Amino acid sequence: MWAWLEERTALPGLWRRFANHPVPGGPRLANVLPAVLVYLFVQQAVLGVLLAAHYSPSATDAWASTAYLNDQIASGWIIRGLHHYGTSAMLLAIVAYLFSLAVSREYRRPREMVWIAAVGLLIVTMALGVTGNILPWDEQGYWAAQVELGIMEQTPGGGALRTVVQGGAEPGNLTLTRLCAAHAFVLPLVAAALLTGIVVLGRRAQAKQAEEGTVRVQAFAAGQLLIDMLAMVLVAGTLVAVTISSHGSELFGPADPTSGFQARPEWYFLFLYKLRTFFEGSLEPIATMVIPGAAVSFLVVVPFVDGMAGKVGRLGVLSVLGLMLAGVVALTGLSLSQDANNESYQKAMAQAYTQAQRARTFALDGVLPQGGPAVFQNDPEYKVRALYDEHCANCHELGGLGGEEAPSLTDYSSREWLAALIRDPNDVRFFGGTKHDGMSAYTAQGNVVDEIEPLPDDQLDAIVEFLWRLQGESDVDATLAAAGQTLWDDEADCQNCHEIEAGAEGSGPNLLGHGSAAWVARIIRDSSQPDLFGEEAQMPKFGTDKIDDERLAELAAFIVRQRAPAATE
Amino acid sequence: MLAGAGARGVCVAGVTAAPAVSVLIHPLRTPTTSGSDAYIPVGKLAQFVGTTPVKVDLFSDTVDAWNRAVHVKIGSAWVRQDAEGQLVAMSTVCPHLGCAIDYDADNSKFICPCHDSFFSLDGGVETGPSPRGMDSLEVQTEGDLVAIRYQRFKQGTDAKEPV
Ligand code: FES
Repeated sequence: MWAWLEERTALPGLWRRFANHPVPGGPRLANVLPAVLVYLFVQQAVLGVLLAAHYSPSATDAWASTAYLNDQIASGWIIRGLHHYGTSAMLLAIVAYLFSLAVSREYRRPREMVWIAAVGLLIVTMALGVTGNILPWDEQGYWAAQVELGIMEQTPGGGALRTVVQGGAEPGNLTLTRLCAAHAFVLPLVAAALLTGIVVLGRRAQAKQAEEGTVRVQAFAAGQLLIDMLAMVLVAGTLVAVTISSHGSELFGPADPTSGFQARPEWYFLFLYKLRTFFEGSLEPIATMVIPGAAVSFLVVVPFVDGMAGKVGRLGVLSVLGLMLAGVVALTGLSLSQDANNESYQKAMAQAYTQAQRARTFALDGVLPQGGPAVFQNDPEYKVRALYDEHCANCHELGGLGGEEAPSLTDYSSREWLAALIRDPNDVRFFGGTKHDGMSAYTAQGNVVDEIEPLPDDQLDAIVEFLWRLQGESDVDATLAAAGQTLWDDEADCQNCHEIEAGAEGSGPNLLGHGSAAWVARIIRDSSQPDLFGEEAQMPKFGTDKIDDERLAELAAFIVRQRAPAATE
Repeated sequence: MLAGAGARGVCVAGVTAAPAVSVLIHPLRTPTTSGSDAYIPVGKLAQFVGTTPVKVDLFSDTVDAWNRAVHVKIGSAWVRQDAEGQLVAMSTVCPHLGCAIDYDADNSKFICPCHDSFFSLDGGVETGPSPRGMDSLEVQTEGDLVAIRYQRFKQGTDAKEPV
């Protein structure tokens, strides 16, 4: 069979070349890094295809499709999580590889291009991370994109560049289709080419070394292969452990351009983020371009610097690389510790997590085609609010919005609301916009013309407390309410018009349970019932054809909830 | 030697392969789309008197993977009274390959224009490739309201089986 295959495909020969490749010096730990990189890259590619099979790159669908994969498809969160942490693992492996090359001075002839390819891979992998984090179009992705595109804009000609990358003046559908194409096709192809360069050119250099015959060699499959695979298993195990213990990659709420989410970049960009804070205003490009540009340029020329600098070359290169690493670590640590001690940031993040939880719970019912933030329309509160807006808002004001043709429902039937109504029922806040004018104003001075006795504040408070008790509230001041009842029974005019026995009819509405959800529901259904406003009633009826019982109960509860919380607690 | 490498390779590949299988077979385990399986009101009794079929569209809230849509058209049906005055509803989806069945008023027949299947007024196949008669749908009347339960059935089979 080998011969049959050999004749037609040359595969066995390729395998033999792969397996018998001479490894100079025998198996070495440092040699595992390119193998680990190949493993990680292939895994990222496969996971990426699986993600692409569930992702819809549009501003309306990106978040919803990601949430669906993450929260509704079994193991979907594992795929996302592995892919997310896979990028971090690749970056760590590349940095480790660069340092192993630097320490062993293996960037020198004939390995200059291996080193440069590794530097290239570092940059491309970072670009993969940046583009990938934007794709879910959650708060984190959206706001990180704002920052990154903003940095892009600061480069010469950056305004045009941003418009091209973003696909327009504002982020939207084209931003996602473009970034998705870059993340899924362009950057992986470049990364694959660079990785191939690292492996093939590295092996070529090893073969040359073996030919010289100065070092002991061992066939790749005889030793190095097993160490390589062991390293892969360890990396895979770590990735699985990290993914499972963190329950995958975070998914925040859908992108909301008005939220002001406090975006932080991924951990591997925190150093750049922190660096920016040292250069304010017009100096900012120093942090975003000059320093990173200089660092990258230095990395690229490392193989040549070493050669030119003679004896001090190795030490020089190592110390600059060491300084760079120390700088990155210090800035990253600084950024992390400052955020950890930043109370307002911590508070904002806690809020963002709560919001994410709400959004993802609502998304389980499906996101409306408007996409993203429309998920909050699944909130029962939103639905009842929509019901209110449809049926009530035209006439009743609530929270500063709505008509003035009917009583305000802001803080409806709170103690303050009741007191103000008694003082001046014909104010626009109450019945001023209606044709109901049967109730007189009970002011502290009274009114000689209508023979209204003065109603001092303490008596008003007592009557309000009594009404508060009739309403069925629990936090009643019993003494005050009892005083109110005495006033009600003896002196006050109230009982001339208002009954407080169940079902009793008076010229004004029966006030038993006034302001309670049940009372409000009855009013909405039909306020012309004889014990309510009777035939005078002006408010339209809302029969079961308009609002069924269940929704009526929700609507009434919603209106009652508008009372200041302190009053209902 | 190679066996050891192979075992490690399986471990490493399994990290991706296991969740991959789970994710890919998701549609086999959980429905990803849904319409309404409740009765959908289509009109008043008075609209459907006589044996001449009337076409009604059925609207419902649907879920399609991550999207939910409110009040979208999910299908249509022909509604008429049969000889005994009983209301019957038949799906407009042709049991052959799913084209929309039309009513030919001149000949009092249903026809499917795609491959010329002809159906009698009560939905039986007269001529043409359709393997079975038009698919009836469940009808319910509540007061003077008529409601239909919309379902889709497997195409191209003799037996009427819901999908
Ligand atoms: S689809 Fe109706 S006859 Fe073929």
